[in-house]
Amino acid sequence: MATTPSNMKGFYRLKKNRSGITKPTSSKKSSLHLVRSLGSDITQLTALISHGSPDLKDYHDNHEELMRQFDMNMAYGPCLGMSRLARWERAQRLGLNPPIGFEGLLKAEKPLAVVGCTTAADLNQMLFLT
Amino acid sequence: MAGMEIDTVENLQRKQSTYQSLDETFVIQNETYRGQQYSQIYFARLHMMRTLLYSLVTHWKPHVPVCTVLGLEEGKECIIVGTLYKHMKLKPCILDEYSKERSAVPLVKHHNFMHPDDHLVLEDESGRVKLGGTVLSPSVYVTGVVVALHGKETGAGDFMVLDVLEAGLAPQIEPQLKSREDKYVVFISGVSAGSSSSNPLQFQLLVDHITGHLGDEKEQGIVAEIVHVVIAGNSVEIPLGLLNGQNLASKDQSRLSEPVQELDILLTQIAAGVPVDIMPGSNDPANFSLPQQPLNRWLFPGSRAYNTFRSCTNPHCFELDGVRILGTSGQNIDDLKKYSEGRDGLEFMERTLKWRHLAPTTPNTLGCYPFTDRDPFLIESCPHVYFVGNQDKYGTRILKGSEGQLVRLISIPKFCDTGMVVVLNLRNLECHTLSFETQFSS
Repeated sequence: MATTPSNMKGFYRLKKNRSGITKPTSSKKSSLHLVRSLGSDITQLTALISHGSPDLKDYHDNHEELMRQFDMNMAYGPCLGMSRLARWERAQRLGLNPPIGFEGLLKAEKPLAVVGCTTAADLNQMLFLT
Repeated sequence: MAGMEIDTVENLQRKQSTYQSLDETFVIQNETYRGQQYSQIYFARLHMMRTLLYSLVTHWKPHVPVCTVLGLEEGKECIIVGTLYKHMKLKPCILDEYSKERSAVPLVKHHNFMHPDDHLVLEDESGRVKLGGTVLSPSVYVTGVVVALHGKETGAGDFMVLDVLEAGLAPQIEPQLKSREDKYVVFISGVSAGSSSSNPLQFQLLVDHITGHLGDEKEQGIVAEIVHVVIAGNSVEIPLGLLNGQNLASKDQSRLSEPVQELDILLTQIAAGVPVDIMPGSNDPANFSLPQQPLNRWLFPGSRAYNTFRSCTNPHCFELDGVRILGTSGQNIDDLKKYSEGRDGLEFMERTLKWRHLAPTTPNTLGCYPFTDRDPFLIESCPHVYFVGNQDKYGTRILKGSEGQLVRLISIPKFCDTGMVVVLNLRNLECHTLSFETQFSS
């Protein structure tokens, strides 16, 4: 995207072979049982663990992954055109039990996480790793 | 001189009733448009209806397992819940403009887009499945209805439907204080002030009657029992022929606003005597998509001085003495008539109540605001009176629900064509019509 402002690149840092949606594996390494995978009953954090150890130094990327997992989860409905916080609140109101820690995460993040939303371009990047 | 008393000693007082507006769900105030698509409102609708249907399914067929569309297994009987989509061959599609076979597009516009080849598809978040069998008739259902289906997947990948469960009528709350005296509500629709086919004298006659300027004491006594007037849409007809893309001359500008001024004069007379609710309709100067927002109060400089004048949304829901009255200006039923088949307008009204959704064809074929977190057309509590305006003819029926609900269905005819208004008695929910004629048959 030629028109992306320079600060956006730092925000959505893309790294291959680490991000993206992977099929849920049986290992339950993480104590952060925050995210539900697509249609699966196993509550686990797959993307962060897939390459071995969670990268906590990259705080931003870490949380961004969590948020993308939240976005992709079908149970909470479509994610386009809605801020993450609004989608979380809707999930809460409809009784879908979204991960509770998430609200804090969203509010602690940069305003973009709260106000901004996943765009179609982001979805493209997430799904096809381009 | 003894027969005519001009100054009567007793003053007739109009009866009063308690009014409570329930329009908050239809008013668009906190919504912001962030580029969302209609998938959000479909998700909200599916989720709310599915939660409800799951609770009903346990009583309906307790031994049949419930699964999602993606979880269907061939030959295994199960229940699936999802949104219906009706694939219609004749439904106008924007892509037809780009189709290479121009000759295949019919030149005549259809009033009804049904075709024997229409078929239904059930969809939820996980997938969609084509529906087969004869239980579910494509002529009855429309896109946007959420139902539970009992059946099994065939070898061809279709879902053979054995039985269908609709949500049914919503629970109804009994009015706490049932009035023991007769109180009447007048429903008018399709006044079309300013149109060439409307007769201003007819509407003036109606206004005079409601305000008690006609008839003797006995007549006035009857009229004093009218506690509320509801105007259900299409109150004006703006002369759109004046708009031709050029700047309007000042005399044309005043001609454009004449119908609304004419309506305001008459509304002021009504509002001076009885509480009146005015709803926007398809021809009124309000937004196009449902829920239509209240007509701007500045359109009615005369009537807005009265607190009895209320500009309301379409659909409109309110309570009078505890009796819950819900209705629209007709767009929801008119759209159903285009995409499904029914005996009369009342049958379509009954279906919308049983589907628990005022306008299931929104946003597919009927314009609707792209709500993200709710679907305001879901009927949470069954009304006692359900009215639809701007219909071709008058009709009324009592609908009985499976849990003792009783709904009075009213189809209000267009006043400019028929000169008829509908009068409802709040005490026993009985209906009759009032006709106004200005022709004198020789």
